[in-house]
Amino acid sequence: MSMHNLETQTPATPRINGDRVAVFKSTEKRSDQWSQLLISVGETHDRQAFAKLFKHFGPLLKGFAHASRNEGWFPGLGDDLVQEVMIKVWNKAGGYNAEKASATTWIYTVARNCRIDMLRRKSNTQHLPLENEDFWHEPDEETPISLLQQKRSEDKVQSSLAQLPKEQDEILRKVYLEGKSHAEASAELGLPLGTVKSRVRLALQKMQVIVSTEAQE
Amino acid sequence: MNNTSQFHPDETMLLEFSAGTLATAPSICVSAHLHFCSKCRTSLLRLDQVGAQLMSEAKPLELEDHAFDTVMANLDSSKKAPAETENKRTSYPFSVSKLMKNNLVSQTWKRLSASVDVARFETGQNEFEVALHKICAGGKTPKHDHHGLEYTVVLKGSFSDENAVYREGDFLVREPGDVHQPMGAQNGECICLSALSAPIKLTNPFGFLMKPWLRINPM
Repeated sequence: MSMHNLETQTPATPRINGDRVAVFKSTEKRSDQWSQLLISVGETHDRQAFAKLFKHFGPLLKGFAHASRNEGWFPGLGDDLVQEVMIKVWNKAGGYNAEKASATTWIYTVARNCRIDMLRRKSNTQHLPLENEDFWHEPDEETPISLLQQKRSEDKVQSSLAQLPKEQDEILRKVYLEGKSHAEASAELGLPLGTVKSRVRLALQKMQVIVSTEAQE
Repeated sequence: MNNTSQFHPDETMLLEFSAGTLATAPSICVSAHLHFCSKCRTSLLRLDQVGAQLMSEAKPLELEDHAFDTVMANLDSSKKAPAETENKRTSYPFSVSKLMKNNLVSQTWKRLSASVDVARFETGQNEFEVALHKICAGGKTPKHDHHGLEYTVVLKGSFSDENAVYREGDFLVREPGDVHQPMGAQNGECICLSALSAPIKLTNPFGFLMKPWLRINPM
């Protein structure tokens, strides 16, 4: 199967049966293209939808792998990561919950876990009883916040990330893309650890990312 | 299992967890806290959005010609994802349950003092000693201070020290130099997960008796 001769296919729209609840739910559906495609892969093992996801995310995943500056990095990491992540996307798409995260966020979490595990396997000779994925098993629950709130926070993250002062943006990129801890970032930038952390906190405040844990129940 | 926690990991620690740059041992503790705390789970979801946004701004790199075909060829033969574990409603966090299973915890409990048992975990790293501590009801632990950093998450029951009562899900950080004497609650045993970065120094006069057992000794 080649990437070039795929028909354009509109993702299936959810069936609305006139029921008020269903109508309400349909307005709450995620409408972005990638999430729709991922849902199709999960529900019907739709290969064309998967091909579109591959075309979009493949090069980003390779870029993400190459941004890593971690111990264990090797030149083939990018291509290996693309293979491993996309196969996981195929296998795990059935468990994707669009109410909880956009496809981009979901694929990011798969990529992050894969990248860490691949690097650890390369740089570590010890038996590793846990994979990074094991840290991310969350209890089944009602989505803690509504899809509308989710989308608002995604928009907020996106717009405020673009406006962060350079010194805050720089640290977030080091941590998320290069895979550096705050301590490593502080050593590299020649800044005290406290400064790195306070820049991170300022950035998080602007993006309104952290749910306040101050309030008593 | 929701919002029971009053003590949470610092936001910079959650961010490192989201970026995957937090070391294994503290990651185990953060994942254990998340099992109990829906507020931190929500924060984490948003932190993941930050990571996702940054990833999508990464410079895309061209793939090898056959990359797509290789994946397609591997789809059907590749292992089916294991069915979602039925672990979701158990009282222990997934990472901890997995460690308990791998380490046969039921057989490795060791007496640390009259009221404290310990079971150490093999976690594939040597920076921290990761262990479960079981404090019997009303049990007093020896007063000790810390040379290194210690993270503790209450998994079951509760305990208290001079400052507060800690309940299921609570996440505590002890800095080097902190002295404390935790006490188990009267109404039942307390089980905590801990990650300790250096040996504990005992401060009570009989401390020397405990020392051999408190030494960092990853199995």
